[in-house]
Amino acid sequence: MPRSSRTGETRLAWLLLAPALGSVVAIALFPLAWTVRESFHLHDLRSPWLGQPWIGWANYAEAAADGRLWLSLAHTVGFAAVSVALELALGLVLALALHRAVAARGPVRTLALIPWALPTVVAALLWRFLFDGPTDWLADPLRAWIPIVLADVWKTTPFVVLLLLAGLQTIDESLYEAARIDGATDWQQFRHVTLPLLRPALLVALIFRTLDAFRVFDLIYALTGGGPGTATEPVSLYGFTVLFQNLRFGYGSAIAVIVFVVTFGLALLYVRTVGAGLLEEER
Amino acid sequence: MAIRNLAAAIALAWLLLACGADRDGEIVIRFPGSAVGAEGELLARQLERFMDQHPGIRVESQATPDASDQRHQLYVQWLNAGLGDPDILQLDVIWTAEFAAAGWILSLDRFDPDTADFLPGPLAASRYRSGLYALPWFVDVGLLYWRTDLLEEPPARFADLGGVVTQVARRAGLPYAFVWQGARYEGLVTVFLEYLGGHGGRILDEQGVVRVDSEAAVRALSAMKQAIDDGQVPRAVLGWQEEQVRFAFQNGKAVLMRNWPYAFPLMQDGANSKVAGRFAVAPMPAAPSGEPTAALGGSLLAINARSEHPEAAWAVVDYLTRPAQMLDRAAQVGQYPPRQSLYQEGGPLQGRLAIPLAAIRQVIERARSRPVTPVYSELSGLLQVRLHEALTGQRDPDEALSLAAREMRGLLARKDLGPESDVAGDAAK
Repeated sequence: MPRSSRTGETRLAWLLLAPALGSVVAIALFPLAWTVRESFHLHDLRSPWLGQPWIGWANYAEAAADGRLWLSLAHTVGFAAVSVALELALGLVLALALHRAVAARGPVRTLALIPWALPTVVAALLWRFLFDGPTDWLADPLRAWIPIVLADVWKTTPFVVLLLLAGLQTIDESLYEAARIDGATDWQQFRHVTLPLLRPALLVALIFRTLDAFRVFDLIYALTGGGPGTATEPVSLYGFTVLFQNLRFGYGSAIAVIVFVVTFGLALLYVRTVGAGLLEEER
Repeated sequence: MAIRNLAAAIALAWLLLACGADRDGEIVIRFPGSAVGAEGELLARQLERFMDQHPGIRVESQATPDASDQRHQLYVQWLNAGLGDPDILQLDVIWTAEFAAAGWILSLDRFDPDTADFLPGPLAASRYRSGLYALPWFVDVGLLYWRTDLLEEPPARFADLGGVVTQVARRAGLPYAFVWQGARYEGLVTVFLEYLGGHGGRILDEQGVVRVDSEAAVRALSAMKQAIDDGQVPRAVLGWQEEQVRFAFQNGKAVLMRNWPYAFPLMQDGANSKVAGRFAVAPMPAAPSGEPTAALGGSLLAINARSEHPEAAWAVVDYLTRPAQMLDRAAQVGQYPPRQSLYQEGGPLQGRLAIPLAAIRQVIERARSRPVTPVYSELSGLLQVRLHEALTGQRDPDEALSLAAREMRGLLARKDLGPESDVAGDAAK
């Protein structure tokens, strides 16, 4: 192929890609760059007498010394780890059961989706009413987590079930037949046939749920408001308070950038470890 | 009065000449405020009357969120953008210093208003650094509701809560002695302020110095925590705001309740309330070291510093804060007027309020405004967290308050509002 036509094709490709790239820049990169810029300024909407000077790393220095921020990050990580682990375990059990069920599989699957379809705030209020009154757990810094995790597990396990069920249905029945002929027990079939072949679906569920759990906001906002004190405050809720209640755009942007770096790192880690595994299997 | 009216008329006449260039000769004043229910209807009628008397001015009301936080956020966005519209702002009593320090609202001293009749609490909340930036519109105060069928008289001392009130509750089979707002929100700060005043403490002093870690403050917070730990106040209040507290009291579950005046007429309705006709209001109790204290709430009217028609806006504010309009407001929507003269025995308010005049007067006169500082909301946010941590047993009261004090000092310094700075506010009394 002559060189000139190849550069022409390349140019055409860029041209065709331009609208998509343009919207990525406009929607994702520009706001990100703006947030980074804000994070180096003092910008308190409520204290205009301070002006909006460039203050270098001062917002980040404040963040480093802000105990409430680090505590909220720790809350977020803990919440994500516990709730995602529970959701995956429970989701796997339910998906296996649903996969086996022959009778009324359609209706049951639809019913199982109801919590997932409910708006999060509604679900959160529901769980709040269940616990507020009969117990005083919402006033206990540790036990307040129980309704939060339960509500999240109740609400998002159906999503995991659905993903895993789809994964289970792609596994060829003949593999199980072969395993049985070889004398494999049910556990061995599960351990050596189901689990390895379900891995891609499990990993997709893991990525989705972790990143979702990491930006948990509405559930906790409506259930405990981050209390008692700030004992259940996730980082998204703290960021919201700084940005939209205290209207400290500079410092709030610094928090947003820190959260971005953490989630980005997490996503990168997943893509490196998990994504690599997925590609191998496709080969 | 006649002279003031004359002055206003002259000012208006001058104004009409000066601004005659406006299209169809009419000045349009925009006034965002509560536009729902009886309150919205009343305001519409009042503005209608105003416009009949002032043919050159048209007042357009603008619906804004009723929730105070949301309205605040909206105002800050508008004012930050330098908009001259809306002309009139309805301020919560805790916003004056913030808006005045930011240069967003006009000093009203140029209109030389007669403020002698206004109650001291609401007037203090309208001032910032010796300038008057708003006029009180209506007031709210923290009240102690008590069961007249169970107690002979309201408890005057905090010590009575653990004593006679608890005994009465036990004897009558009521689960709680006292209920108040203990969720982590502004309401908790108002309850704390009342306990604090009752123990002789304060949050900021006159020089704007943080005093929330004083010994009196530790005693006040310890008293609140002790009441919960001893079961006089249910632990559930740590998630309660006004309405949950009212439900507990009106369902006959508590001997005492701390709440605002709005609850009174609602609980007199026998169809929904089990305590109709069996309760009264009194000032909050106090310890020997302090005096009964009521947190002050309510609304003020201020003028946008960028308004194109400040004189006309002032005419509206002046009209709405006159005694006759306040009486109308009190009678029709139960919002209490901030004018002393109206509370006189046998005066025009007699018999027109849900709460007996003498009872509400003794509380309103004591009403104490929250700290007057441009960063009140952030200050309150810090305090809410630490108070809630202490009440939920995550920290000791003295540790929680020293932390709160340290954070408040840091905040004031960061905002260039330390005691020695010249933006620093006059602290509340």
